[in-house]
Amino acid sequence: MIHKLIYVFVSCMALCASCTKTEREFYDGQGKKPVYLPLSELHDVKNEPPTPIGLSGTLFLRDTLLFILEQRKGIHVFNIKDSLNTLNLAFFKIPAITDFVISGNLLYADSWKDLVIIDISNLHQIQVTDRIVDVISPVLYPPLFNGIYECVDESKGAVINWEDALLEDAKCVTIN
Amino acid sequence: MKKLLFSTCIALLCFACSEDSVSYLEGISGKSGSITRFAIYQDYMYLLNLNEVQTYDIKQKEHPVLVHQMPTDYGLETITVYDGTVFLGSTTSLYILDISNPAAPVIQSQSDRISDIGFSGCDPVAVKGNYAYSTIKVIENACGTISAASALVVYDIHDKSAPVVVGTYALNIPNGLGYKDNYLFVCDEGSDELLVYDITDPTHVVLTAYAVSITDPYDLIVDGQKMIVSSKTDFQIFDISDITQIKRLGQISK
Repeated sequence: MIHKLIYVFVSCMALCASCTKTEREFYDGQGKKPVYLPLSELHDVKNEPPTPIGLSGTLFLRDTLLFILEQRKGIHVFNIKDSLNTLNLAFFKIPAITDFVISGNLLYADSWKDLVIIDISNLHQIQVTDRIVDVISPVLYPPLFNGIYECVDESKGAVINWEDALLEDAKCVTIN
Repeated sequence: MKKLLFSTCIALLCFACSEDSVSYLEGISGKSGSITRFAIYQDYMYLLNLNEVQTYDIKQKEHPVLVHQMPTDYGLETITVYDGTVFLGSTTSLYILDISNPAAPVIQSQSDRISDIGFSGCDPVAVKGNYAYSTIKVIENACGTISAASALVVYDIHDKSAPVVVGTYALNIPNGLGYKDNYLFVCDEGSDELLVYDITDPTHVVLTAYAVSITDPYDLIVDGQKMIVSSKTDFQIFDISDITQIKRLGQISK
């Protein structure tokens, strides 16, 4: 909320500044800038070989199968029937994912602004059954960060990360 | 003999399949950890946007239909369904939603944490009987200093339209939570511990000595006699059949 307000506020100031042609200094210095994934790549939902897990998120347990979300990348699937020897079974690549749930053999996941529905009856051959576009409002500011950042330009794609950067004329700032 | 060998191979093959992809069939339900924005209830799926609860009809599972959108304040973070009621954790409030018509949730109450108990923060909710347990995490205040205002908050929800705070217990940097019987588990990132509370009397929750050391625990799933705990560095599986002696069974490394 605060982030949005400040974003709006700064945007308004930008507007006013341009209308009145008053010079307006924006923020310069160390901050964050978004890393984009081209929107066309959001459709690249598929199986990939199991890999080590990066930044994790939501967990889902189905019988002996543990589904672990990796932020913005996809879902890892483990068989944990034998706690001592867990098996890394599969990885579902789902670009820009941040959360999911499973019902029956269907997996529902967000992917930037879309809800993607995936049939996982065969863990090694997943299939997208549907995609509902433009229903999710992704977070447009760097999480757990106080400071200036380059505003998201949605025409450049989906934000899949935030990286440190030396910014000039940054128009966005977070205050937690 | 050859025939026998052949059929054994076939049987083994089938076994291999069932271990893997066929092992979960339609109807076997699963469970999420406590930190998630998606929930399933009967033929509906609920999805949280920052300031909105969306309801999808999933009778046709492969092709959900968005049937309802309910606006809320900004800051929705987690959802859980318990006994036909939806509980939402937001940065400012605990919401309780009536889903007697699951296609169109209605806000039954919204407890403002700031005015009720002086905290603002986030985080998940676990519900047992007539009590809701929620962790509230405040990492930094506006001045960028670490705040001590993180806590476990217990709500009496006998009256879902008017929950009452019946206890607050200081925590460091709490994350996910869950319970087994009368024991509540809380991931406390700040103290690097999985804390165990006795909730036999929800109005007098007692911290036990059964805590387990885990670096930066994030969320957990209780599954019968087992518990899975995620952390920044790994996923650990515990035997919780005896709470007084929680045993680590195995782990998945990152």
